[in-house]
Amino acid sequence: MNESRPLLRSAPAPGKRLSLVLAIAVHVLLAGFLIYGVHWQTRAPEAVEVELVSAIPAPSAVPPAPTFEPEPAPPSPPKPEPKPEPKLEPRPEPKPLPPPPKPDIALKEPKQKPPPKVVPREIPKEIPKEIPRPDPFKEQLKRETERLDKSKLAAALDKEVAGAKSAQAAAAAKKSSDEWGARIRGKIRGNIVLPPDIKGNPEAEFLVTLLPSGEVLNLRLTKSSGNPALDAAIERAIRKSDPLPKPEQGEVFQRELVLKYRPRED
Amino acid sequence: MNISQDLSIIELIINASLVVKLVMLLLTGVSLMSWYYIFRKSFALRAARQKTDKFERDFWSGGDLTAMYQSAVNDRHHSGAMEHIFEAGYREFAKLRGQKTLDPATVVDSSRRAMRATYQREIDDLESHLAFLASVGSVSPYVGLFGTVWGIMHAFRGLANMTTATLAAVAPGIAEALVATAIGLFAAIPAVVAYNRFAHDVDRIAVRFESFMEEFSNILQRQIR
Repeated sequence: MNESRPLLRSAPAPGKRLSLVLAIAVHVLLAGFLIYGVHWQTRAPEAVEVELVSAIPAPSAVPPAPTFEPEPAPPSPPKPEPKPEPKLEPRPEPKPLPPPPKPDIALKEPKQKPPPKVVPREIPKEIPKEIPRPDPFKEQLKRETERLDKSKLAAALDKEVAGAKSAQAAAAAKKSSDEWGARIRGKIRGNIVLPPDIKGNPEAEFLVTLLPSGEVLNLRLTKSSGNPALDAAIERAIRKSDPLPKPEQGEVFQRELVLKYRPRED
Repeated sequence: MNISQDLSIIELIINASLVVKLVMLLLTGVSLMSWYYIFRKSFALRAARQKTDKFERDFWSGGDLTAMYQSAVNDRHHSGAMEHIFEAGYREFAKLRGQKTLDPATVVDSSRRAMRATYQREIDDLESHLAFLASVGSVSPYVGLFGTVWGIMHAFRGLANMTTATLAAVAPGIAEALVATAIGLFAAIPAVVAYNRFAHDVDRIAVRFESFMEEFSNILQRQIR
């Protein structure tokens, strides 16, 4: 009997503590995965369109066009033509040629012909007879005309260029402004409670007056979506989102915003 | 604010109603237990398989039965289930062998009965807690479903108080409630898989034990003559 007793209890089951630790580890891992790995976003930024447009649409609409046209087109054609010709021809040739005896003749000739200008005197000294005669004048003329053209162009483009520069700055600012728009969009989107019976994808437009702190000072419906319930819902959402997020760069801030809202974007 | 901006899992759990929270807590506890048993069983079964393998190798390598019995008795805490069966059978056989009055068939029979008793004890040991896994597997989805139904009831009751009935107003409540089902399923699925696997493993070990018992009985019978 004594011998048979120990058989009743077999050796203790192995790994009790280890399995407890492992079980907890499994749960901690799963919880960690759920908490940090999974993010259910209720807002999808693309689903709703809130366009951020400055109150006066004209300036922002015009500048983008000049930025692309004036810079590459006008300046590039004049530069390659005039500058390589005058500068490359006179200078490489004069240096080898001054020692030969011709300078005297060259001096006389130019003196008679190009008296009016001070600059030509220097050029003819160095330049042999073959080329200088036609060239200095024409080139001078060319230069003059080009200068004139340039100055005209510059004068004409001045405003445009200024506009373009400001447009470039605006483009840089546009990025942050877009980002700001996206953030406003996201916040409003998070707060909106759409009425159930929306037909189609109507667009409503609101004019929002903002304080620099992002608080909504005034909110006015400028274009109804045709569905009063939707208008009301959007208005509620905007009011609920008060204060709206501030832009990252202060200068992007606009006091008056036109918010366009579409319930769906498909 | 009945619309939370982001539905993180923590927020869902925190915002759930008390009953749903209790259900989740219960299910988490059950899941913890079931994983604990899953690991314990898998270790125990692996150990049992290894020891059975080792003993079968030793046994069929043709050693002396008495020596094998002695080593099994001396090393009882490290011996496996099959060794216990062998030990019980051989002890009974050794006791009855000397008595000339007994019929050889009776000796083998009683030895086989002793082995069967030990076998049942060992199998019972291996099967312990499997029933828990089985019930976790079958019941916890229902418990989770209960929590979900309760949570959805709550969500809809909250909807009754609102002037405008929108899906957005009930959606968070339903999402909260569904977490209960998710936890229930998380507890149930591993439990069911583990139960099936362990039941199969135990069956295979049991078959090995039974065939060993038959073969060993034959050996004992041959020894008597």
